[in-house]
Amino acid sequence: MYDIAGEHASAIGAAIALLVIVWLVLRALSVLSHRRVGWAVALLNTYRATSAITKLAAVLMLVSGVIHLALIPSHEGITGVLFVIDGLGFIALGVAAFFTSWWRRPAVLWLVATIVAYVVWVIAGWETPDQIGIACKLIELVALGLIMRLAQPGRRTWPRRIWRAVAFPMMASVATLGIWVGGLAHPDALHAHAGALLQPVAAVATPEQRQAASRLLADTRASIARYQDPAIAIAAGFKPGAVSSADPLRHFENSANANAVLDPNHPQALVYAQTKHGLQLIGAMYQMKRAGQWGPDPGGPLTQWHQHEGICFSPFGFEFSFETPFWTCPLGSTSITTPPMLHVWIVDNGKLGPFAADLDKAVQKQLQGS
Amino acid sequence: MSITSPAVAATTAPPTTSAPEIASVLVVTQASLSLVAGLSAIPFAIVEPGFRVLSLLTILVAIGMFWLARNLRRQRRWARRWVIALEALSLVASLLLTVLPIGAMRGPVPVLVNLVMPAAILWLLWSRSGRAAFKTARRSDARDAA
Repeated sequence: MYDIAGEHASAIGAAIALLVIVWLVLRALSVLSHRRVGWAVALLNTYRATSAITKLAAVLMLVSGVIHLALIPSHEGITGVLFVIDGLGFIALGVAAFFTSWWRRPAVLWLVATIVAYVVWVIAGWETPDQIGIACKLIELVALGLIMRLAQPGRRTWPRRIWRAVAFPMMASVATLGIWVGGLAHPDALHAHAGALLQPVAAVATPEQRQAASRLLADTRASIARYQDPAIAIAAGFKPGAVSSADPLRHFENSANANAVLDPNHPQALVYAQTKHGLQLIGAMYQMKRAGQWGPDPGGPLTQWHQHEGICFSPFGFEFSFETPFWTCPLGSTSITTPPMLHVWIVDNGKLGPFAADLDKAVQKQLQGS
Repeated sequence: MSITSPAVAATTAPPTTSAPEIASVLVVTQASLSLVAGLSAIPFAIVEPGFRVLSLLTILVAIGMFWLARNLRRQRRWARRWVIALEALSLVASLLLTVLPIGAMRGPVPVLVNLVMPAAILWLLWSRSGRAAFKTARRSDARDAA
């Protein structure tokens, strides 16, 4: 569900470069201090006198600062200006952590403001959440947690204790919820719904592509007509998928067809709908072998493949939930990205059409009631 | 302010006690993310009975991790042992998922959360300063008991 935006990839290189530079500077200071260079000795002593927790918090803020600065070219207007301010602020606070006593409170405010601002930007649709942004928030959350641990113990009143206990988990929850809401409220053009990534295709189908799509639909309908009775499908090697109360559609998969590529005579799965009169064949599903390996789309934008990602599958049968933006699933469930798939609906799929990733809700309701 | 300011000393703790503190912050971060994962599965649990169990289990484990983090910070040796066991288990499971062709680890976020954080916690608790912090705690505990 959350990919790496192409224009954000430079931030990874910038973060790695920063860590290498920090290491080289420390090595250089070590060499110079061995040669008794006064300022190098002073700097190295200051660095060594600083606690590991402060060092780590400072480095994390420097990393966040550099990531923000590296992302400036891909952000225009007020967002770009804020990235400059944010990046420079983090670098200043990261350096101040070694030399000052006042840096903690401004750093906490800066970190909280940055995380909250990101959530606001994402919910408003001014920024699309991607893995670089989310990784940056994770780094900032850890830095925030470290700095909160550095705070001097004040008066131990119960409100203070409760606030100290809930502040950090609450910040993590706000960040997660905000990124989630933003991602769901403003999906990009390649997300059909939460968790389904669509194959990039041209905007308009050519007449040849329309013909090819019609041919694929007709061939698929003719080929799978013999499996109206699920018992025949089972006899032919299709294995019924697990029953799920959350999904009224049942997929019957045939592993013997795994190597076929968009072959109407060898679809990877048949799709049945649970009706009042039993299972009704409503379509076929073609599937590639590996995640990210898009299949041929003879109908161009009409036959757009999709793959499901960010899905947490339960070990108790066909049950799933969505992964959090921080890539965590409930304990015992597994994050899965499926290989690309293409559904061909042989029933009238309403406004979504015969190759849509999903069955039209109205059609689904009608089938369940029939 | 000069770089040799006494303020530096006032803001810093002795380096040897930092490993349990940093490890506890990372465990709290993990617990927070687990708590959110457990809470976020509740809407699915309405129709999926399996997720009722997993959601509840995840929330309970997250609460347990907050408690472990608290005791890690207090340098309790049993908390260190439990955290090492849990993080090692988590790391092994994540490495297995990385090997499987199910796309479980794609991009920097899953690598940071599922591989780097458990590895960092294990390293902190196994490092010389980490072990020393817990040994010091044991000696002071014994002295208090005497």
